[in-house]
Amino acid sequence: MAVSMGINLKYDLKNYLKLLSNNLFNQLKADEELSLGLHSEESEFVRFSKSKVRQNTSVHQHELTLQFQAEHKFYKSTNMLTLNLAADTKHLQTVVDSIRKNLTLIDENPKYRKMLNNGITEVYKKSQRPTTADVIKKISVQFSDSDLTGLYCAGPIRQASVNSAGQFHYFENDTFFLDFSIYDDARAAKGFYSEEKWMDTQFANLACEIKKILTLLKKPRIKIKPGHYPVYLAPMALAEIIQIFNWRAVSRSAFEQGFAPLKKLHMRESLFSPKFSLTENNELGLNSHFNSSGELSPKNLPIIENGELKNFLINAATAKEYNLISNNADANFEAMRSIDVKPGTLDEKNILSQLGTGLFLTNLHYINWSDPQAARLTGMTRFACFWVENGEIIGPIHDLRFDDTLYNLFGAELVDLTEHVSTFVNTSTYQKRSLGGMRLPGALLKKMNFTL
Amino acid sequence: MQATSQATSQDAENISDQLTDFLQTEFNKYKDSADFVAFKLIKEKTRDYSVRNGKTEDLTEFNDQGLLIEIMISGHMGYGATGELTAEGIKKAFNKARAMTLAASRYGIFKFNKLIRPPVQGTYTSSRKINSDQLSLASIFDYLKKTSLALKKNDQIITAVSDVMLVECVQHYFSSEGTNFHQNFDIIVNALSATASQGKESQTRSLHGGRGNCVQAGAEFFNLDKALADCDEISTQALELLNAENCPAENCDLILSPDQMLLQIHESIGHPLELDRILGDERNFAGWSFVKPEDFGTLQYGSTQMNVVFDPTLVGELASYQFDETGNPAEKKYLIQNGKLVAGLGSLESQARCPISGVASARSSSWNRAPIDRMANINLEAGKLSLNEMISQVERGVMMYANRSWSIDDYRRKFQFGCEYAKLIENGKVTKTLKNPNYRGITVPFWNSLAALTKPDTIGTYGSPYCGKGEPSQIIRVGHSSPYALFKNIEVFGGG
Repeated sequence: MAVSMGINLKYDLKNYLKLLSNNLFNQLKADEELSLGLHSEESEFVRFSKSKVRQNTSVHQHELTLQFQAEHKFYKSTNMLTLNLAADTKHLQTVVDSIRKNLTLIDENPKYRKMLNNGITEVYKKSQRPTTADVIKKISVQFSDSDLTGLYCAGPIRQASVNSAGQFHYFENDTFFLDFSIYDDARAAKGFYSEEKWMDTQFANLACEIKKILTLLKKPRIKIKPGHYPVYLAPMALAEIIQIFNWRAVSRSAFEQGFAPLKKLHMRESLFSPKFSLTENNELGLNSHFNSSGELSPKNLPIIENGELKNFLINAATAKEYNLISNNADANFEAMRSIDVKPGTLDEKNILSQLGTGLFLTNLHYINWSDPQAARLTGMTRFACFWVENGEIIGPIHDLRFDDTLYNLFGAELVDLTEHVSTFVNTSTYQKRSLGGMRLPGALLKKMNFTL
Repeated sequence: MQATSQATSQDAENISDQLTDFLQTEFNKYKDSADFVAFKLIKEKTRDYSVRNGKTEDLTEFNDQGLLIEIMISGHMGYGATGELTAEGIKKAFNKARAMTLAASRYGIFKFNKLIRPPVQGTYTSSRKINSDQLSLASIFDYLKKTSLALKKNDQIITAVSDVMLVECVQHYFSSEGTNFHQNFDIIVNALSATASQGKESQTRSLHGGRGNCVQAGAEFFNLDKALADCDEISTQALELLNAENCPAENCDLILSPDQMLLQIHESIGHPLELDRILGDERNFAGWSFVKPEDFGTLQYGSTQMNVVFDPTLVGELASYQFDETGNPAEKKYLIQNGKLVAGLGSLESQARCPISGVASARSSSWNRAPIDRMANINLEAGKLSLNEMISQVERGVMMYANRSWSIDDYRRKFQFGCEYAKLIENGKVTKTLKNPNYRGITVPFWNSLAALTKPDTIGTYGSPYCGKGEPSQIIRVGHSSPYALFKNIEVFGGG
């Protein structure tokens, strides 16, 4: 094997990508196009169970996705980089040669469009955090009296989009989060910590707050019968429901292909409450400023405004197929990357009194469509969820299953949303870490349908 | 589908040999630098192609390659993963992993010994007649185009998708304890689906639900005549659903086909029996389990007809292997026998932490994740009835096919599942087609309501390429086989 260049990623990955892309672009024939999409991360994962370390994993992972285009056809190939320029160039050139040869034998792709130069930009962000060795100690010590389970994740993520038309976008963000829950037998409270700067006092205060919630759960658990109950959904619970919009509901291509939970909203046969507004808000700064094709994301794209559907997410391929205008949704998946739900007028101090008698739900779990065409979804309550009577918490509940429609939850049943909003960064780590996240308030509902 | 004469297999073997030699040299530099050191190379090529309405939808491939380094210090196992397969990249990954492992070992949850990594040697290769790397893009595209066009029977079929995922995976593990095993997996996932639309109604029917049709096999898997017959049935049923009645809401008998049983087994048997869940490691993410350590050997999980095995030794099922990813040799084992819970899905690490009978189930999604307790092939054994005999026993019931919706609580008790297609059974006969069929229940009472199973020749073998779990999260491939199963007095309901 060849010897590595010994590059310092902190400073040189961008230049490495320039050298590599130049090597590959120089080999292109006339009328051939090539784009390169980078996802790179140097991650430190520490998995906790019972406030101890179960597993620690450091990951150095650099994926490069080539999109080769010729004769109105295209093909994508994702490859792991070794960061040895000669070896990576040789391997990727072999990949391009193979694609070039194989593409000649298949039909033209109706979704083909010429690559554009969408500009040259760079954005760098960095959180301040202790070393991971220190963080392990801080978490273990702070929760030595508790049974904590969860994941600490830290390190830089880099994304770039380069193409043979001259485009070069680069984004780098060094972040951390601790996603955790603490347990007392079967009772659990959920916590989340992610800031631009790790602050010991702030972290200690959060630990106290979560431990206090756990003490509230010490009361006997109450069995609630299936039925309709007034509900307050805390921001984390609302986040679980809002994520279902990204499960093809706001995708225009899915809509055109027959998966249409928002059809009644689109046809104006049914509207959500005027209090409900949902926006793709890239100004939250939670994700890269460009999509996987290097198209710049709109700063704000209203999806639902005051209860009315304003936009589906439309990528360039969908726009071409259905003669629509693209709003630069991602080529891989038409979904919101940075979700913003408009706050309401409910003062947090008044949540319990406004709820009166009903369910206070901090978290939900495993939500899925139960009848997508009716926008009906099902899921479970999870972690700290309480029965409230006359504005007083009576005690934690045994978990309940709900089954209800988006038209009910965000329509006639929506009473108000809180003034206060919470922000959650995307914690998904399947195959690789994700960017993005959401900002949203809590929601008070007249009723929600519980079935089991 | 014709195999090409490309010499790709030989080329790949030569490259793999060079890589193996290089990694062995690198391993020798580090093998004495901790109490235990292991290297695991994963090299995996995935080709994922789809055609919609006869036209190209997606043509993608992923050439994944990387190294997982395992380091044990003071009884704590830590991991370093890198795609930088150079001397310097491996040095950086090793040093970082060792520093993190040293820091973490002071707060480790359990002091393991080296028995969690047995010194085994061996080789495994998926059963195949023709290597799938012999299939050219053109031949696959031709198959997808023909099947997609066959699905698009008329204009009411608005979306007709045929897709295939071909995976060729090489896994090579060697350790300072003398372990050295090599496993080659060839995997094929073939999905066909048709969405019919008329007015406000839209219904989708697919081949065994999403990507349930998946096996370990070579290029011989593809049979165009059979696929075209499947396309005809799928699109006919999608059209039939447009004018079908909603599934009624009532308590009645429920027959689940093997392609829904795969999901029922997965969610309400597989996950709750994972020992790392029972030990609490998954509580923040995938969830805990209603099963407690003291339930093994005592809990009547289901009726006496219920026999469930963990079996990665079966030829062709999706999650077959010779060793799990710690070198534990794979063997068939009963998890549930005559309805009683007898063993869990616990790796050697979980068995060290908790004295419960386990299996070879330490698996990871790739080189960048540590192994955790997973399912492999979890199968429900057959009964004695023919399907007609089973139907004739039902006075009033619903027979459901192919999963489309799944949700279960974090203890794996309360579930609600939905299917693509159903038939009403009245007085022992199938009478009409039903749309939007759903059912819900609670795991242990549900399995105790199991009344009958069909014969071995009715077993369907399927799986999922997408079982999610773990922090950091991992997707893994699992296999499930089952006969038709009859459950008594289940709550069913429709859509709307």
